[in-house]
Amino acid sequence: MTALEDRALNVRRAPLPLFGKVFTDSWRGLLGWALGLAAAAFLYLPLYPSMIGAAGIQDVIDNLPPELIKTLNYDQIGTGAGYAQATLFGLLGFLLLSIAATSWGAAALGGDEESGRLELTLAHGVTRVQVAAARFFAIMVKILALSALLFLLVLLLNEPSQLQIEVGNLLGTSLLFFGVSLLTASASLLGGAWSGRRIGGIAAGAGVAVIGYVFNALGNQSASLEWLHNLSPYYWAFGNNPLSSGANATTIVVFFGLSLLLAAAAALALRQRDIGV
Amino acid sequence: MSHVALDPSTDVRAAGTRSNVAIDVIDLVKQFGHNRALDGVTFQVPRGSVFGVIGPNGAGKTTIMRALLDIIRPTSGQAMVLGTPTRNAGPDLRRRIGYLPGELILEGRTSGRRLLAHYADISGPVEAGHVNELAERLGLDLDRPVRKLSKGNKQKLGIVQAFMHQPELLVLDEPTSGLDPLMQQEFLKMVREAQARGQTIFLSSHVISEIQQAADEVAILRDGRIVTINTVDELRTTAIRHLRLVATGIRPTDLAAVLGALEGVTTIECTLTPAGDAEAVATLSGEIAPFVQVISTLQLKDLMLEEPDLEESVLKLYSAPTPPNTAAATT
Repeated sequence: MTALEDRALNVRRAPLPLFGKVFTDSWRGLLGWALGLAAAAFLYLPLYPSMIGAAGIQDVIDNLPPELIKTLNYDQIGTGAGYAQATLFGLLGFLLLSIAATSWGAAALGGDEESGRLELTLAHGVTRVQVAAARFFAIMVKILALSALLFLLVLLLNEPSQLQIEVGNLLGTSLLFFGVSLLTASASLLGGAWSGRRIGGIAAGAGVAVIGYVFNALGNQSASLEWLHNLSPYYWAFGNNPLSSGANATTIVVFFGLSLLLAAAAALALRQRDIGV
Repeated sequence: MSHVALDPSTDVRAAGTRSNVAIDVIDLVKQFGHNRALDGVTFQVPRGSVFGVIGPNGAGKTTIMRALLDIIRPTSGQAMVLGTPTRNAGPDLRRRIGYLPGELILEGRTSGRRLLAHYADISGPVEAGHVNELAERLGLDLDRPVRKLSKGNKQKLGIVQAFMHQPELLVLDEPTSGLDPLMQQEFLKMVREAQARGQTIFLSSHVISEIQQAADEVAILRDGRIVTINTVDELRTTAIRHLRLVATGIRPTDLAAVLGALEGVTTIECTLTPAGDAEAVATLSGEIAPFVQVISTLQLKDLMLEEPDLEESVLKLYSAPTPPNTAAATT
């Protein structure tokens, strides 16, 4: 055995290898999502001055069915904050981030296991909890980066597009945007870890995003359905028009806490299971 | 199924201290739903030895290996690896193991070099330059994207990944699959060198010819049970040899009677050649000496005794009647 132990070692290791690997693997994807988000911001926000300037736009909106207006959250669209909320944070940005969060969360454990690659990673000197934690925090950083980008984009276009959004409210809304996306990602991480399949993650993540959106829209329709708001992460984030009236710090903490809880459940689920069977 | 210890040295090791044992598996059972993949597997692999598991697809080879790495958890029974129970074993144990999965799936976008660097980051320490050395031996280009590598070259990458940190134990599931014969020889050389350094090698194959040169002991696995554990030499003595002989001055029926009286000579076919001689085709298993003594009394014109065919004798063990209530297993 001496031959095994007497090896002269000259070893250089990457710090946080599991965490870092996520970024070396997916920086192209992250760049793509960033470009998509920027395109959405540059497409929508500069249109605002011409929309309020154009006579009759309010007439058009007034003539839309009220259910549609409530579904699209267009009731506040006459203000810059309401417009940015309805078009960007609440619609296209939400859609993009929900898709990104779901696909990242589903791929991180469920997809990796399904493809057969997770088995080899776990055969090395790592624990399953480490792998789950590293991948969760990597996704968190990616979502934080995209949320920060959205914050900067709106900040950049605030003046030229005459949106008149307060920076504090913008920051709070961006954090809520981060929170609701992180919750979606954590749900898909858990779905993937629990089922060992990508589709399990996609179902869980898409479920949180879509059901959140639908329950919000239904809850907007009538007082008898308002209770659905309680079950809608989308409503928790955007129901109180945070861009105009300010974000609730507690809600941000709740999003973060729930996400951590789901990620911990994902780590535990992964720890209990047979991998790749 | 109990450990069939035919090798006298196995008994000595079993009675010795556990620290001489690299893998100690006791009555391992793994149930997948209604499917019993492992049905009470018991064996020991001494440190510094090369131990092979042979079995048809679905016999449970992969399941044993995955259990050793704690990728799957046995339903009952115990597996100790390097003195540590595998169940929930920490990363420290797996740093001392090199693993090659049977179904090797590697990430495709990155280069072989970067992929290996990542695995080096999460496994035991890798000596500088050792990866290049291994890649060179196997003729593997580390700078090509993994997805552009052929199946054989991906397999080589997997082998480098398992060997690079010179682990105390190598667990290799069908390591030679996809390798051309030349590379199979190079791989077997690497196995012998690892053994010389004191490393233990546990490897599987569905054909014995691929590992018979390297393995000290071979366990034959069928339907989640170990049929027998033998040394390769023992397998060789029990193996079947094909023989053909031509003798003059004897009638085919008499020749058949002479050969038929010998133990281990079966499937005798005696015919009359056009030249009027008696020709016998038969199979021989077991000792050669009695056979040679008997045929020395004949007037032989021709004799051919083939190399023992291990493959055939292993297949015979596979096809032994299945015990009732044993479901087929998947790997």
